[in-house]
Amino acid sequence: MKLTTENKQLTRLAELMQSERDHLFRYACYRLGSATEADDVVQDLYLRLSKQGARLAEITDLKGYVYRSLTNSCTSALRSRRQFAPTETLDTLSSDDLAPKDFEQEFRLIERLMALLPDEQGEVIRLRIYGGCQFDEIASICNTPLTTAKSRFRYGIDKLREALEKRGLI
Amino acid sequence: MKTNNNLDNISDIRIENLLTPRFTPTSSLSFNAPAPRRRLLWRAVRIGAVAAMVVVAVVIGISGVQTSTAREVVERAMTQLLESDNYLVQFTANVAENKNSGELYDIDFEGTQIRGTVEIHKEDSKVKMAIKWQDKASSMELYDGKSYRRYQNGQLVLERPYGGIDLTKFATIDKLKDYALLTGILLKFREEGDVISVSTRGDKVGIVARFSKSEGRLLGAECSGPYNGQQVTVLTIDQIDFDVPPTE
Repeated sequence: MKLTTENKQLTRLAELMQSERDHLFRYACYRLGSATEADDVVQDLYLRLSKQGARLAEITDLKGYVYRSLTNSCTSALRSRRQFAPTETLDTLSSDDLAPKDFEQEFRLIERLMALLPDEQGEVIRLRIYGGCQFDEIASICNTPLTTAKSRFRYGIDKLREALEKRGLI
Repeated sequence: MKTNNNLDNISDIRIENLLTPRFTPTSSLSFNAPAPRRRLLWRAVRIGAVAAMVVVAVVIGISGVQTSTAREVVERAMTQLLESDNYLVQFTANVAENKNSGELYDIDFEGTQIRGTVEIHKEDSKVKMAIKWQDKASSMELYDGKSYRRYQNGQLVLERPYGGIDLTKFATIDKLKDYALLTGILLKFREEGDVISVSTRGDKVGIVARFSKSEGRLLGAECSGPYNGQQVTVLTIDQIDFDVPPTE
């Protein structure tokens, strides 16, 4: 009986990972700046979760759990990098930079913008835009009230707008 | 202070547009629920404890590599694997007798070190494989695509149906990744100077194969895993030969 529940949860996990694949991958891509690393992290995440057995069967909010695990995995991957390239500031940003032409340019732009924000605001924006999550899902992932998740998004966008306006970029 | 999350002015929409990715690379990952443990796939994984890992090492350990990136090297190696008809892999493994699955040995950290060879022979689309062990009974395991047979001291001691190994699973990195996801193997490609390392990590054992780009040859391949707080080598690929005729 227990094994059947675990198998059902494994099937649920596989279906969820498959349906959320593009969002999970996109989230990881724009955290890590590398498609190969994003692939590795998402693949590794699936393997780790699928091996949790009985523990996995106890999780009710599987999607929230997957995203929480992914955010932790990305944070660990970033921490484990031996060399940290300092993120460029907005002071050198030009209007050309606002129209990236490939993934690398786009990632650099987004990284520069997100560097302006406190972690918790950046995380909500990432989950919303790259993870495609609803605010109630974000609230669950971040373990905050719904209103907090929404206001963090709002404040984050405000801060970015003010920073770009101050530099005459929008 | 505003707390409305709706983006209701043009500047805010512009900010969201700036953050919205347009050049996201695509992922080829695909997720399927693992098959129940007793199905054929898991038997293949068990073989993976000794032989399919060797097959993967063959895939990533092919000589004559002159390409530039790790992915190219592996893609090319896989192409060569599919184009070659015969391989002979000499290995040394720490094994213990398997009393459950019907196959002879499992990788075991505390097992006995035994030398052996894996011969892979392709006939049309079928793949035949033989594992010859240098043990006391001169054991030999044969996988002919339909059945598994075990010989000891020249006598057939066990025979049962077995579906065989499908090498097309390793035809591309994408297929290999799909296979790896199903079988719990994680592949990583790393390039440091002249050495390309391709590593896999599974439940119990992992493979690291290193080969030189400039020399175009396999430098070494080994399987290891954590045991008693240490990384213990359980299988070493000693030599790989291609296009050698199958032995009797």
